[in-house]
Amino acid sequence: MSEHDVLEPTQGVGVDEPVIRRGLHRSSVWRSIVRHPQEDTPRGRALQGFSNFFLHVYPVKVPRRVLRNRYSYRLGFIAAVLFGILLVTGLYLMFVYTPSVGSAYGDMQKLKTGVGFGQLIRNVHRWSAHLMVLVVFLHLIRVFYAGAYKSPREFNWVLGLMLLMLTLAFSFTGYLLPWDQLAYWAVTVGTNLVHYIPLVGGQLQNLLIGGDQIGQSTLIRFYALHVAVLPALLVTILGVHIWRVRKDGFAVRRSSVGAFGEGATEAPVAGSGPAHAAPELYGGRVRLLGVVDRESVTAESRPVDDTVFTWPHLVVRHVVVALGVCAAVLTLGVLFAAPLRGLANPNVTPEPAKAPWYFAGLQELLSHFDPLVAGILVPAGAVIAFVLLPYIDRNPATAARSRKVAVVLFSILLVAAVVLTVIGTFFRGPGWQWVPPWHHWYVEL
Amino acid sequence: MTEPTRRQVLRTGWKVGGALLAGAAGYTAFEALSPLSTGAAGGKIEVGAPSNFQAGSATYFAEGRFYVVNAGDHYFALSQKCPHLGCKVPFCDSSGRFECACHGSVFDLAGEYVQGPSPRGMDRYHLALEQGNLVVNTGIVVAGPDRGTTTYRTPPKGPSCLGKV
Repeated sequence: MSEHDVLEPTQGVGVDEPVIRRGLHRSSVWRSIVRHPQEDTPRGRALQGFSNFFLHVYPVKVPRRVLRNRYSYRLGFIAAVLFGILLVTGLYLMFVYTPSVGSAYGDMQKLKTGVGFGQLIRNVHRWSAHLMVLVVFLHLIRVFYAGAYKSPREFNWVLGLMLLMLTLAFSFTGYLLPWDQLAYWAVTVGTNLVHYIPLVGGQLQNLLIGGDQIGQSTLIRFYALHVAVLPALLVTILGVHIWRVRKDGFAVRRSSVGAFGEGATEAPVAGSGPAHAAPELYGGRVRLLGVVDRESVTAESRPVDDTVFTWPHLVVRHVVVALGVCAAVLTLGVLFAAPLRGLANPNVTPEPAKAPWYFAGLQELLSHFDPLVAGILVPAGAVIAFVLLPYIDRNPATAARSRKVAVVLFSILLVAAVVLTVIGTFFRGPGWQWVPPWHHWYVEL
Repeated sequence: MTEPTRRQVLRTGWKVGGALLAGAAGYTAFEALSPLSTGAAGGKIEVGAPSNFQAGSATYFAEGRFYVVNAGDHYFALSQKCPHLGCKVPFCDSSGRFECACHGSVFDLAGEYVQGPSPRGMDRYHLALEQGNLVVNTGIVVAGPDRGTTTYRTPPKGPSCLGKV
């Protein structure tokens, strides 16, 4: 029997195809590109996992509960989709934009008046960026409450934190590029925070903005970071992040006491090796032929096959979510224009000068405490605590009721951050005075 | 001491070579990012005779981004940049004080700290009298006076500009 006999589809795709397409699909050129057999059988689908790049991103099978939207709210996936939208719209913007103090603001106006769909592209880019920051934060919160940072995912949690930092850096560097008053003063306030780092703060700030005030040097380095350095870093780390999610089985084991405790959907398999590491991969059809110490083979407990094929079940859901995200940002882009204030003027500070909303909580904190405390110690302490969290929190339980201390501490921090952000974003006016949003709206995103 | 094996020497060589390469890359990045100049600051600006500045006044010079103030018999060139987070601090005519609209820091006419989150008073540029004219050197900056300094403190002339919505 030749190799082609093995790969020849026996059912499903191919039978009812037009002659030309069938001929194309059987040609050696087509087979050199699409190497999987496209058999619509469990074996065919499993084989595709080994011959298909797409299924190297996804596992062949996933636990059934992953299909439920409430399981993860698809937040990580939504963040990735938003990043994709940002890459595409960002490329369009790069064709029009020149990172020069003399022309950047004019390019923004040109997008509005001289480039077909230019303003829409900018709007979608802007709203996607804000949404990505929001969704990545929500993803972190969801992962915490699900206990998904615990073994063996400790380092993937750290990678996720790096991605959060990169997302903030992306948004912050992009904030300056329109070179309007909003951009200039939000970045002035944001970069002055660095000044409070003991000993090296002043020099670090100089390195960051390329001088003692925001200018051409700042614009060009923020642009280089925004379009080259940060995308390269984010794509690399995101690749490792998703790869680890996929290798870790795409789902957290639900348990109140440990990896295989009460509520777990997979029972332990006697023995070890690859079958033990990923029983769902084999659809529960694991047969152990090795010697089992002091127990008969009949004592083997089999994994419960509660898995489904990724294609089409999960992939179809992802496609629907991706379409929904595209529709949402497009709607936002049509309804709401990205703000563009007057040309950046270093001699006139708008009232109030607010940092971007995701730093507004810090700005609010800064109005109450010493800058070293509010601008450096609190945020740096929070980041360090989050990085160390999976290594400090050794409690194996993932259910919230079994990890009350961690959940309570995190919830207090979360509520404080949300309250400060809401106050800083919506309730502050000129002179950082208290102004209710229904009295006057001082919010621009 | 035993002779290192060829493998040990090579392994150490790779480590040293890698460290040197990383160091060179880091230094080059530092050099590339270091500012070539100090932005707008650094030049001398002649602002006119002292008699042009009335007592209790603050005059803004956009080209140097500073104020020249006459606090009684003392003149100061104050940087417009708030020491808190870098906003431009406007002068409030009604109170006769500098009042930052970003976070509410207030400074008296001489730039001394009065209230708000600023860690110190407003920074001062070097000011000299040359051939009858005041000359501000923006290349020489003196950090603002510490909180609690009240050398030139006078009561506010009138109502504050902050909080006027």
